[in-house]
Amino acid sequence: MQIRSARISGFRNLQETRFDFSSRVNVVVGRNGEGKTNLLEALNYFALGRSHRGARNDELIAFDAEALHVELGVVEESGAELACEYGLGRNNGRRFRLDGEALRRRADLVGRLATVFFNPDSIRLVRGSPQRRRHFVDQGIAEIDPSYLVHLTAFQRALKQKTGLLRDVRHGAVDGRRIRDDLEAWNREIATHAAVVCRERGAYANLMTPFADAAHRELAGDEETLRVVYRPRLETAAARVFTEDDAGAPGNPLETPSRTPSEGNPPEAEKPGEIGSLEQDIFKELSYIVGSEIQRGRPLNGPQMDDFEVRLSGSPDEGGEAPGLDLRTYGSQGETRSAAIALILARSDVLHRRRQVRPVLFLDDIFSELDRERTRRLQNMAIRAHQVFVATARPDDLGDWRPADLCAWRVDGGAFTQVKDPTAPL
Amino acid sequence: MAHRHDPNDGGEFQSPALERLVRGLSRLPGLGRKSATRIALHLVAKESPAAELVEAVNEAREQVRNCSRCGAITEPDPCRICTSERRDPSQLCVVASPVDVLPFEKAGFFRGRYFVLGGLLSPLDGVRADDLPFDRLASRIDEDGVAEIIIALDASVEGETTALYVQRLFEGRDLRLSRLATGIPVGGALAYTDEVTLQRAFQFRRGF
Ligand SMILES: [Zn+2]
Repeated sequence: MQIRSARISGFRNLQETRFDFSSRVNVVVGRNGEGKTNLLEALNYFALGRSHRGARNDELIAFDAEALHVELGVVEESGAELACEYGLGRNNGRRFRLDGEALRRRADLVGRLATVFFNPDSIRLVRGSPQRRRHFVDQGIAEIDPSYLVHLTAFQRALKQKTGLLRDVRHGAVDGRRIRDDLEAWNREIATHAAVVCRERGAYANLMTPFADAAHRELAGDEETLRVVYRPRLETAAARVFTEDDAGAPGNPLETPSRTPSEGNPPEAEKPGEIGSLEQDIFKELSYIVGSEIQRGRPLNGPQMDDFEVRLSGSPDEGGEAPGLDLRTYGSQGETRSAAIALILARSDVLHRRRQVRPVLFLDDIFSELDRERTRRLQNMAIRAHQVFVATARPDDLGDWRPADLCAWRVDGGAFTQVKDPTAPL
Repeated sequence: MAHRHDPNDGGEFQSPALERLVRGLSRLPGLGRKSATRIALHLVAKESPAAELVEAVNEAREQVRNCSRCGAITEPDPCRICTSERRDPSQLCVVASPVDVLPFEKAGFFRGRYFVLGGLLSPLDGVRADDLPFDRLASRIDEDGVAEIIIALDASVEGETTALYVQRLFEGRDLRLSRLATGIPVGGALAYTDEVTLQRAFQFRRGF
């Protein structure tokens, strides 16, 4: 997938500009605050349906404008051209158009323009909070299976309701003994969706591991083995994930249609080990702790507490079968950054494997976070399969990187000038 | 941030009476200050329908009530559906709100009776099982000899959870419990069906 052109107006400090991009590498150099990241943000907004920095409309619209408008000329893998447009107004108005046709729901956007974004923050994926890793994996699953988002949001909504119920008990608004039936109903609803969430998260970790391992070997230049291991907090889910892992036969779990058995009886009988019984197991496990949850006044278990281990172990001749080092806690800064980059690249590989789509890659100011050798390797890995956008405040960080078809711009105060040599001093 | 001026934002009328009317109207569901102002000016104009409206509101308030048996909106109590000999008392359709009865009645295919819960389980809105009339539902089932309950609640998380609750409540009894199917709308094109609806329609597919 490629962004071939863009017309941007009214976006933050960016001057109204029309871009024709290289199908391979695009570099923007400029000092911080001049508009590098704003350009990447404008390009990435359509992909996410929101700002990757979480900015509101009012922050995105130029101070002297009433609205912003961005048009992207996108080319899909098939060669088909796609006109992606969005407009934001003050008062939270927003419009997305695909080939001139308005998209009604944000969900219709998912996967239309696929992107992967690296910045100094995203490469803290391995060191950061479990929530960050859950979010990363959830996004990855949603990219290849949009129906996952429905289960995830339903799970989160039901959990919020349950949390509210337990909070009422904690605050004395209701007697804990009187809500057991309520809790049971919420736990049933939670279990329905949690079963899908756990199953898909486990499958995704297994699916991405070989890609992450390959990317990591190339990036780090050694023979150590990288593994992503799903660690659900629910024991019943953990048991299920390990069984599949050990048997080495998860097959294509993501292709197994997830089902919502609360709807009634599926036409065929439940197979043992199918998601239906995982749902029942999760419900039983949640029921078992109802007493403690009432006592503590909050939910004590569920996918909201899941994590993913990122393990690095030696090459086979030095005992590669060992569980390896858990980088979340024991990784050096260099190791965790390399692992994070490998995971993010693996998400692109998974998307390609499952949907035959190569996302557009954004590298926002991350070369300064890596040593020269890793920077050079990442540069080569990135352009091998993707169209790449690079933003950097330090042209030196590009090193001697001069791939074919490179287009470069300098940005000063939101004004872009195309340049021949991106490494000329600012 | 640019400062914008909207003639209907913040400004107040010089007439306190009109101001009171606008405020009252803007408290109605779905009306902002802008539309409330438009309606208020219409109501105080010369050809105003205000007198008729006041009469209609008063009459409706006197006549309209919720059926004491099913909760539907009605004038006679119990409602005609609850008392009609031609409605099958053994089939009971459980809905969340009185307006949910309307589409069924408009379509006309359902010959059973209704039970309106008046809400869905939602602790965040202060609704727990104790707040919904499940006791009355249970006695209704006994009194009418209900043999089948059709749960017709929203496909939202709250609707699903309430349905699970009802199912759990009556699953030990000699009752048929069923729920509305979800799937592709009639006349809907397959190509434009979202993934989730399609997946459900596929899971709960029927034999010929
Ligand atoms: Zn009635």
